[in-house]
Amino acid sequence: MNVIFDIAVIGGGIMGCGAALRLSEGGMSAVVLEQSDIGQGASGVNAGTLSMQIKRVKLMSYAIKGHEMWEEMGDRIGFHRTGGYTLAFSDKEADLLHERMTMKKEAGANIEFVSPDKVISSEPHLTKKIIAASYCPDDGYANSSLTGHYYRSRLKEHDVSYMEKFGVTDILEHEDGWKIFSGTKVVVAKRILLAAGGWCKKLAGMVGVDLPIRARINTVSVTERAPLLFSSILGHATGLLTMKQKENGTILIGGGWQGKGTPEQGRGQIDIKNLIANLQLAKFVIPDLANIRVVRSWTGFEANVPDFYPLAGKLANMDNAFILACVRGGYTIGPYISKLMGDFILGKETEMPLFDPSRDIIEGRLI
Amino acid sequence: MFDVVVIGAGPAGVNAAIDAHDQGLSVLLIDEGRDAGGQVWRPKSASIIKAPVTPTEQKGEHLRERLRKSNIKRKFETRVWHIEKCGDDGWIIGLSGPDDEKQVRSKAVIIATGAQERVIPVNGWTLPGVLGLAGTTALMKENLLPPHGRSIVAGTGPLVFYVASEILRLGGTVTAILTLNSKLDWFKELPTMILKPQLLFQGLNWVLSLYLKRIPIYWRTGIKTVEGDNAVEGATITKVDKNWAPKQGHEKYIPCESVCYGQGLMPEISATRLTGANHHYDEKLGGWVPTIDELGRTSEKGIYACGDNAGILGVTVAPISGKRAARAVIEDLKGENSGAKQSNLRMMQKFGRAMTALSISRSGLIKFIDDQTEICRCEGITKSDIDHEITHGAQSHNAVKSGTRCGMGPCGGRFCMDTVAMLTEYHTGKTREVIGLPTARPPLRPVILDTLSDDLDYDDLPIPGVSPL
Amino acid sequence: MNKDATSPVQRTEKISFQFDGIEVGAFEGETIGAALLRARITHLRDAPNSKKPRGMFCVMGVCQECVVIVDEKFVEACRSKASDGLIVNRVHYV
Repeated sequence: MNVIFDIAVIGGGIMGCGAALRLSEGGMSAVVLEQSDIGQGASGVNAGTLSMQIKRVKLMSYAIKGHEMWEEMGDRIGFHRTGGYTLAFSDKEADLLHERMTMKKEAGANIEFVSPDKVISSEPHLTKKIIAASYCPDDGYANSSLTGHYYRSRLKEHDVSYMEKFGVTDILEHEDGWKIFSGTKVVVAKRILLAAGGWCKKLAGMVGVDLPIRARINTVSVTERAPLLFSSILGHATGLLTMKQKENGTILIGGGWQGKGTPEQGRGQIDIKNLIANLQLAKFVIPDLANIRVVRSWTGFEANVPDFYPLAGKLANMDNAFILACVRGGYTIGPYISKLMGDFILGKETEMPLFDPSRDIIEGRLI
Repeated sequence: MFDVVVIGAGPAGVNAAIDAHDQGLSVLLIDEGRDAGGQVWRPKSASIIKAPVTPTEQKGEHLRERLRKSNIKRKFETRVWHIEKCGDDGWIIGLSGPDDEKQVRSKAVIIATGAQERVIPVNGWTLPGVLGLAGTTALMKENLLPPHGRSIVAGTGPLVFYVASEILRLGGTVTAILTLNSKLDWFKELPTMILKPQLLFQGLNWVLSLYLKRIPIYWRTGIKTVEGDNAVEGATITKVDKNWAPKQGHEKYIPCESVCYGQGLMPEISATRLTGANHHYDEKLGGWVPTIDELGRTSEKGIYACGDNAGILGVTVAPISGKRAARAVIEDLKGENSGAKQSNLRMMQKFGRAMTALSISRSGLIKFIDDQTEICRCEGITKSDIDHEITHGAQSHNAVKSGTRCGMGPCGGRFCMDTVAMLTEYHTGKTREVIGLPTARPPLRPVILDTLSDDLDYDDLPIPGVSPL
Repeated sequence: MNKDATSPVQRTEKISFQFDGIEVGAFEGETIGAALLRARITHLRDAPNSKKPRGMFCVMGVCQECVVIVDEKFVEACRSKASDGLIVNRVHYV
């Protein structure tokens, strides 16, 4: 009760931990408050894809920087650069692929178009029904399950305080700062940073700010160890499939198929109809998946606002409240944008601009 | 749409199904076995045409006969891989089985999935020739085949004596019987056991048959290590103290080809957990159990639990708890009070609790596990891997799982969960409820991707437009 | 009871299948796992990490230790029936 932190970061995922580490480096005393365990939300249950081909054009330069940071983390986080293909199976999808990938290439991503024959010769288990494909040699993945382990270790190494099982129940103004409650537990801090993904809407509400935050409920599945079927990460022109076979032979299948539930209700559940469609699409792309056993399917919340750009800056123009959330491609971009956020709160000039949460947020075009 | 789907055709599930059916509800009964009976009355293999029938088997036959006469719709050799709430429209159940029906819908679901075995890991427990104690009963009941070679039978409660006497009956060899219990443990439960004299007599009969055959019974003794390179060659056994910790210097090596061991049963709660129902930890009921009212209603509307998965109370309680669950469903769907009279459940429960009491985990068991003992058999995660994760900050089951892969393999953590929680409890001093369980996720068993649905053309895939980028 | 219990067991016809190229006898309708145990074959698989041998453990389709390959699929030996001429192989991991 007598400790007053310079900043309380609410949310112990990549965004929150990354920002707290940067803030601590910059001399602020920070505490990370996490409702469950460090790195167990979207940061820890996403499919781990690090692909330039599924990043938004305007976020590409952030993604490239983020990707470099993942590579530096290396083995500690299970980083693999495998190269990745995005595949189209109809003329419509091929057009979409060309339009999107050309724009992404112009934005700096190392993407090339490749012939279906070339794809098949490097990935012989793929369906022969490919019409068009693009390739990015930088694409790969990391092991999102290790997010908690990794960031908890980093927080400890840098002496940054954290509290787990600290589900924030209220936030009150207190002298020049804030009192943050979790039931009867209280933390006092001069500033707050909301970095709790889909749970930020409720937190912002506690300080009287209404944000148009919504949450998608993305489904991911994993198979048991399978014979080697492919070695690049695979994607679909619509973005509705990501697949990778890990070193241990297990295959992760994602693509943003929707589950059920809301962040307020807990962890979310799969929707049987969408899960099956997701798996059928995977089987269409790699027919030999038909015989493989699925061992687990789960969901994670991906927060967004209607323009699908991040909320990264001051909360309602307050000088002592900040938010970092709703970053599309947040797993890849997270380590970098959280560093920028730290710099911003420290009053430093940021290497790249942030995204003012007080902008007019309008329903965006989804490119 | 069924009124009620019953998952599990053991004594609890079958009784629930029959009562619900008799009251005019449309019922579907599902089990992964080839016929009803569950584990306790597991049906014999199709390869057995004729065999002597024991009194236990007779009860199973009687159950199957009642079911056959009932014309209840049933699916055997069928696995439930998913249970999902459909708003107010009941539940959808994902199936994987021999017929084409991949999903069914139901207003109510009675979950009667029974128990699973608790096996404390020791060095060598992964060797071929090591069988779970309950696993050994499954092997013998189905195949009338004992474990091969000389067997050491070890564990807790009455199961040890049952398994040993069955191995002998089926022509196998038992070289030693080990029980962590003391004679005093049994003596303490005697007043309760007298409530069921038949079962007491049956138990005494097993022990007597073992004495007559001069099979050594080692009280307060457990398996310390299983020895062998590529298969079981022997086991080092050890005396234990009253907390079941191995006693230094009280070890002995016994050669054998099979080791059958286990430390009691735990409720198989993966199905109830998947529904989102509340659970709590009660060691007297075998561990984590769904929180239910006296008729078996869980916290989720339309989900009911009965039998050992609602608390390890054994085969005397299971049929009654199945009937009660059926009564709850009838009341809830028809809105009428069935007014059925109270059965002598209390007495049965008391007996069940006494049997379970003999297997309640004790703190010393953790000392059986060495640093290099594999705890997660699927992923090869050792005790020191898990200790390291916990002492470096992982405070919950989910955190240990994510950081180590422990429990991420094909068994879904079913054989490491209890040990992981035990280690977390030991290092952090937190309660089982705080440590929690890994988030429940489908499928309930590994499922071959192609069996989840019928084939679809690419053009028919329900691709919902372009995803936001 | 005891007299009954020791009277002979009558089983179905003998069939045979192949396990990793070895001919194994079985009674029609019994599981691969039971037939292999009768043939004293307990080593069904090597663990993916340690490469150490594994065999049937829970005998009720939970532990997944006894998985073998039939028709290119992973199946539990303790639950999958043997049939005449069936080709069963050990799993080999990447």
